[in-house]
Amino acid sequence: MNKNDKLLIVFLVPILLIILLLFKLTSVKSNKVANVYYENQVILTIDLSGEEQDYNVKGYNGNVKIKAGNGKIKVVEETSEKHLCSKQGYIKESYETIVCLPNKIVIKITSNNDLDATL
Amino acid sequence: MKRVLKLILILLFITGCSNSKVDSHNFFYMDTYINVKIYDAENTDSIFKEVDKIYKEYHELADRYHEYEGLKNVYYLKNNDSTDEIIKLDSKLCNMIKLGLDYNKKTNGSFNINMSNILDVWKNYREKGEGIPTLEELNEAKNKINPIILNDKCELSNNHPSIDLGAIAKGYATEKVGEYLRENKVNKFIINAGGNVLVGDHYNNDKFKIGLEKPDQTKEIYKVLKLNNKSVVTSGGYERFYTYEGKNYHHIIDYNTMYPANYFKSVTIITKDSGLADTLSTCLFLMPIEEGKKLIKDLEVDVIWYTVDDKVVTTEGIKNYE
Amino acid sequence: MEIKKITRLSILLSLSIVLSIVESLIPIFNGIIPGLKIGLANIAIMIALYAYGIKEAVFVSIARIFIVGILRTGLFNITFFFSISGAIFSLIAMFIFKKIKIFSIIGVSIIGSIFHTIGQILIAILFVKNANILYYLPVLILFAVPTGLLIGYISKKSLTNFLEKK
Repeated sequence: MNKNDKLLIVFLVPILLIILLLFKLTSVKSNKVANVYYENQVILTIDLSGEEQDYNVKGYNGNVKIKAGNGKIKVVEETSEKHLCSKQGYIKESYETIVCLPNKIVIKITSNNDLDATL
Repeated sequence: MKRVLKLILILLFITGCSNSKVDSHNFFYMDTYINVKIYDAENTDSIFKEVDKIYKEYHELADRYHEYEGLKNVYYLKNNDSTDEIIKLDSKLCNMIKLGLDYNKKTNGSFNINMSNILDVWKNYREKGEGIPTLEELNEAKNKINPIILNDKCELSNNHPSIDLGAIAKGYATEKVGEYLRENKVNKFIINAGGNVLVGDHYNNDKFKIGLEKPDQTKEIYKVLKLNNKSVVTSGGYERFYTYEGKNYHHIIDYNTMYPANYFKSVTIITKDSGLADTLSTCLFLMPIEEGKKLIKDLEVDVIWYTVDDKVVTTEGIKNYE
Repeated sequence: MEIKKITRLSILLSLSIVLSIVESLIPIFNGIIPGLKIGLANIAIMIALYAYGIKEAVFVSIARIFIVGILRTGLFNITFFFSISGAIFSLIAMFIFKKIKIFSIIGVSIIGSIFHTIGQILIAILFVKNANILYYLPVLILFAVPTGLLIGYISKKSLTNFLEKK
């Protein structure tokens, strides 16, 4: 390993850590809602303040079952080869994303800006 | 004395700060998730159970794809093989149909609840995602529609009309849920039935804030309405549509032209009654602004038109909610 | 092409295929962060790149993707395009950084690992048509640094052996 290799690591790792720290600090604390996208369309918005409940949306390969509430959300069941997105488990921060690639489903947590509802 | 005063102060502090209790429940009817939040209520389980019953009943009445044992619903009206010449309608279904017929007249036919045949033609193309129906195809579907003949006693001629209550049922059911909640002293509530919001009193003696999203993919909030005891309903072509040869074709069809109406990206209605709001949002979507204004001039209704060229036009009264 | 080179490239290719399969059998990271991999097969590609050159590295890399595709994961599906796009990105980046000679094989390996991630994220964005996946990038890059380091280190060791016997 030469000097430049070390510099690369010394430079890169802190920057990435700072970015992640910023994500963490700016993460939404209250009024959390989860947007469920199919491609770039929001197909379902779930208020995460309520009790935990099951939701079903249509993905590319068929039904995608989602469990959401109490500030967190996860994919329970979906049709794919590796089941990466159902293995991922819960996300609860706004910098986390669930990606069900084969199903073209993306789940992201955001704030609803103190709004009681949007339409 | 000092201690008592202190105690009182602490008590005041605690009660003054205490947040109101909220219970939230989701239902899935009429193709949408319906979120109902009630505040400071007791017996929430039985309340939600009753709310579920109301939505379920309207869902089944308006369902045009399934039959339910012993229920004369929209599916039954279209597909029954009974030899009866007239069908006595359930009063709830009858009232929704009457509302629809009333606004059919008021919109000179553009708004029509008797056109499921035409909607199905469009639905086929939308699901394929390409092509648009020809006028012949649409006319063929139109010619198969039998008129709705309904008398004052809610007796309908059994000629299998092509009823679709998609523009009415959700709002209508939501209004009934609101009525039920108020009758049971649950005055603080908010119902969000996908494009269809009904609010009661606010949980902190404030006003509910309802954000209106731009009817495009950015979904930015372009307006926030502050209100209580009102219903807000948006109809738009941006939720269910497909693109063919660079043009978007959405699901809100004008009966007179049989093609999607092309004045607005969305129309938002604010009024007390959620059933009326739902109906009007579709009606006004189908007509130019001036005609829309005439339609609502004797009603206590406020409107936000979001035109196809991205202009936002509102009625005077909207400023009361800003 | 001399026979010796053909044989050696074939060995590298088989090595990369075996390493891909071995890695898919030890899913230690599976589920923690989707898309996270050590990229063991890259060892063979690094060796090809340093012992021969970019053409040979491209050959091993692309042939590996096709063969693993035929054997296990299927051709022209998402996994396939994922691999292709990651491979192309990392090959181009490694080629450039090897050329400008500011990093050793380890630095180049880290760069390759990072661009592999970037290529995959980009294809994922194109596929699901949703740019929100970009939020993943910092975490994935953070993990690409140690895996790139590991691969680079192993490659360096193996390369000495490989060249001695050349």
